[in-house]
Amino acid sequence: MKKIRTIIFVALLIGILFGISGVINHVYLKKSNMVTGREENLAGLQKEEDNTIDLLVLGDSESYTSISTMMLWKEDGISSYIGAQSGQQIQETYYMLKQALQTQKPKLVMLETHVLFRDNAGMDAYRSVMEENAMYHFSVFRYHNIWKRLLSSNIGDDRQFFKGFRVRDSVAPYDGGDYMQETTVKKQMTGFVKNYLQQIIDICKENDIPILFYSAPSPVNYNYQKHNTLIEYTENAGIPYVDLNMMTSELGIDWTKDTLDHGDHLNIYGAQKVTKYMRKYLEENYNLPDHRGQQKYKDWDVLEDQYEKRLLTLKV
Amino acid sequence: MAYHTTLFLFVFLPLALICYHFAPQKWRGYVLIGFSYLFFWMNSKELLAYLIGTTLLTHHIGIWLDGLTIKEANAEAEEKKQIKKQRKRVLLLGIVILLGVLISMKYQNFIGLNASRVAEHFSIRYSFDPVAIVLPLGISFYTLQAIGYMVDVYWKKIEADYSLEKTALFLSFFPQIMEGPICRYSDTADTLYKKSPLKLENLQHGSLRIVWGLFKKIVIADRLAVVVKTVFDSYADYHGIIIVVAALAYTIQLYMEFSGAIDMVIGTGVMFGVKLPENFRQPFFAENASGFWRRWHITLGVWFKEYIFYPVSVSKIVKKWNRYGRKNVGKYWTKIVTSAVALFPVWLCNGIWHGPRWSYIFYGMYYFTLIMIGILLEPIRKKVLQTLHINPKQLWYRALQFVKLMVIVITGELFFRADSLRIGVRMFRSIFQDFQPSILFDGNLLNLGIDNLDFMVILVGCMIVLLVDLMKEKKVALTEKLEHWRLPIRWSVYYGLILAVIIFGAYGEGYQVIDLIYAGF
Repeated sequence: MKKIRTIIFVALLIGILFGISGVINHVYLKKSNMVTGREENLAGLQKEEDNTIDLLVLGDSESYTSISTMMLWKEDGISSYIGAQSGQQIQETYYMLKQALQTQKPKLVMLETHVLFRDNAGMDAYRSVMEENAMYHFSVFRYHNIWKRLLSSNIGDDRQFFKGFRVRDSVAPYDGGDYMQETTVKKQMTGFVKNYLQQIIDICKENDIPILFYSAPSPVNYNYQKHNTLIEYTENAGIPYVDLNMMTSELGIDWTKDTLDHGDHLNIYGAQKVTKYMRKYLEENYNLPDHRGQQKYKDWDVLEDQYEKRLLTLKV
Repeated sequence: MAYHTTLFLFVFLPLALICYHFAPQKWRGYVLIGFSYLFFWMNSKELLAYLIGTTLLTHHIGIWLDGLTIKEANAEAEEKKQIKKQRKRVLLLGIVILLGVLISMKYQNFIGLNASRVAEHFSIRYSFDPVAIVLPLGISFYTLQAIGYMVDVYWKKIEADYSLEKTALFLSFFPQIMEGPICRYSDTADTLYKKSPLKLENLQHGSLRIVWGLFKKIVIADRLAVVVKTVFDSYADYHGIIIVVAALAYTIQLYMEFSGAIDMVIGTGVMFGVKLPENFRQPFFAENASGFWRRWHITLGVWFKEYIFYPVSVSKIVKKWNRYGRKNVGKYWTKIVTSAVALFPVWLCNGIWHGPRWSYIFYGMYYFTLIMIGILLEPIRKKVLQTLHINPKQLWYRALQFVKLMVIVITGELFFRADSLRIGVRMFRSIFQDFQPSILFDGNLLNLGIDNLDFMVILVGCMIVLLVDLMKEKKVALTEKLEHWRLPIRWSVYYGLILAVIIFGAYGEGYQVIDLIYAGF
C-alpha cells in the first residue's frame, strides 16, 4: 500500500510539474516580454505562430549579432528567427532546435559555427545535458522566475528584440590586423561537441531540413585553424559552409566601425553587411518563399516598421 | 559536485541507492566505500590518496593501541608503566602525522608568510614563497574524526575496529565528508555498520529532510548571497546601516546554508539507514554566546570540548592550580583562571580550524573574550536579577537577551566574512559613519543586487524556518506530527515545499550557483 501511495505521489508530482509547464508554455510565454535576458530567444520561439518560420539560425551571440532578420524580411520576405543565447553550448543548440521543431517546420537551418569550439567536455557538460533535458520536458525549471514578471507592474512593451536579432550600435574598433593567417594546423572539436553536432545534423535529415554552416566575421573568435577543421568536417559531411572571415574585404567589413567590442561581435553596421551577402547567397542556393503581404505575417510588417524607426535613430 | 547539485541529487545519489539496494548485505559496506571514494575523487581527483593514507594510519594506530591495551591488562606493575608510556607515544605519533599533514597543507603558507614578516621586522634574512596547494576534500573534517577515533581507543572508551572496511567507511562516508557533521565513532558506528536494507519509510523521511535543506539553501541563502557579495566585495563603497544589513544577511545566509546542507547530509544518511548527529539546535534561541555555540556547529564544539577542553581541564598543571587557587585566591578566581586556561586553546583552535587567516583567529578570540566576560560577570548578573526580582524567563528579558545575542553574532560574522582582519575592522568602523536607518526604506536596499520580490521571498522563507525552529524548540516532533495529518493535507505540505524550491529557488537565469561555504573550510 505504501509503495502504491509513493508511486501515486511521484506520478502526481510529475503531473503537477507538467501542468505548470503547460500553463507557462501555452499561456504566459505567448504574452510579450515575459522572459528577458539569456532565455529570451528560446522563450520567443514559443510566441511565434505555428509553421511561420522558414529560416532558423542557430548559434551563440555571434549569430544574433550577424544576421538581421528584419533586413531579410524587408528585402526578400524571408521569415527567419535566431535561436541563440549568449555563450550557447552545443547541447543547448540541440535543445533549441528540438524546441523549434515542436511548432515550426523551417526550410533551412543555419548554424553559426563558433558554438562548435567551446571546450565542452567532462562532468559539467553531462550535468548541463541533464539539466537541459529536464528543462526541455518541464519548462517550469527554465522559466521558474516567471512569477516575478507576473507580479511586476512594469512588464514594458517590445524592446530591441527583432525575431531574435538585437540592434547594437556601439563601436569599439579592432586593430589587430589580419587574423586569418594560413596554416595547416587544425583546432580540434571535442568528442562531446561532435556527438551533439551529429545529432543536430541527424534531426535535420529526419525532418528533411537542409543545414548550412556559416562563420560570422570575428577576429577574436576565428582563425585559420578553425577554418581548416570546419572545411574538413563539412566536406566529409556534405554540408555547405560559408566562412565569412575569409571574405571580409568582399563584404566590406571595416573593423574600425563594424564591431561593437574590439572584434568579438559585429554591431548593426557589420550585421547589415553580412546579411546583405547572405541574402544573395540564400537567393542563389535556396528557394525560400517571400511571405510579404500575407495575412499570416502581418505582425512582421509592424515589427519591421519598429526596426526601421530604430535604425533611423541610429542614422544607419 | 556538492549535495545541492543536480548531478548529486539526480544521478549520484539514486545510483548509490540502487547499487546499495541490489548488493548482497555483506557487500553493502564496500558499495558505500566505493561511492564515497568516487565522490571524493570527483571533487579532489588524485588527492584521494590523502584520505586513503589517513584511513590506513588511523586503522593501524587503533589496532596498535588496542594490542597494547591487551598487553597492559596482562602485564606486571613495572611493565604496565612502560606500556602506558608506549601507548601515549603511539597516540602522539598518529596525532602528529595527521596534524602534520593538515598543517602542512592548510597552514603552510600562513605560517611561512607570517614568519617572514616577523623575520623582516627583526631584520633577519628569511623569505617565504607561497606554494599553490589544493586541499583534499573535507580534510579539516575527516582529520578531526580520525584523531577523535584514535584518542577514544587510547582512552579505552571504544575498542579499535579490526575491520579496515569499517574504518574506511567511518572516515569517508560520502554524505558527511564535505561539510561534516564531525562524527564520533560511538555516534555513528552502530547504524553505519549495520548495512540495513533500504526502507521506503527511510527514503521518504530522508527525501523530506533533503528538500527542507534545499529550501533553506536555494530559496533563502542563495538569494542573500547576492546582497552579501555585493557589499563585501565592494566594502569601500558602503557604510552605516548597509554594513549592518550585509552582516545580518551573511549571518542568515550562513545559518540557512550550513544548516540546510546538514539537513541534506542527515537526510541522505537516513536514506541508507544511517543516523548522523545533529549539527544545529535553533542557535538563535540561545541565552548567550556560550549557549549559541552549544547549538551552532554542535559537532565541532563537542569535538573541541572532548579532545581539548576536558584534557586541559584535568591536566596536572590545572589540577595543581585548582588546589593552590582554592586555598589562596578563592573559588571565584580559581574558576576564572581554570576556565581561561581551558577555553583559550578551544577558541584558538576553533578560529584556526576555519582557515589560515588572522580574521578567523580574531573570530575565535572574539568569542573567547565574550565567553570569559560572561563567566566573570555571572555572579554580578545573578545578584542583579535577585535584587531587582527579575525573572529571566520573562518575555522582555528574553527579548533583550535575543537582541544582545544578535549583536554579538552579527558582529562576529562581519569579521568572519570580511576578506581580511583589516577589512573587517574597516567595515566595522564604517558602521558608525553616517548611520541613517532611513536608508532601509528609501529604496537603497534594492541596489544591492536583488529586487523587492526577492526580499519578500527571503522574508517569507525566514518566517517559515523560524516557525519550524520555534516548534522544534518546543520539542514538537514535526515529522512524526506530519505523518498523522490527513493525507491530502500532508501531501499538500510536501508538494508545497517541493514547488517552493522549484519556483522560488535562486537558480538559473539571473543567479549564480553558490558553492557550499563550509566545504571551503
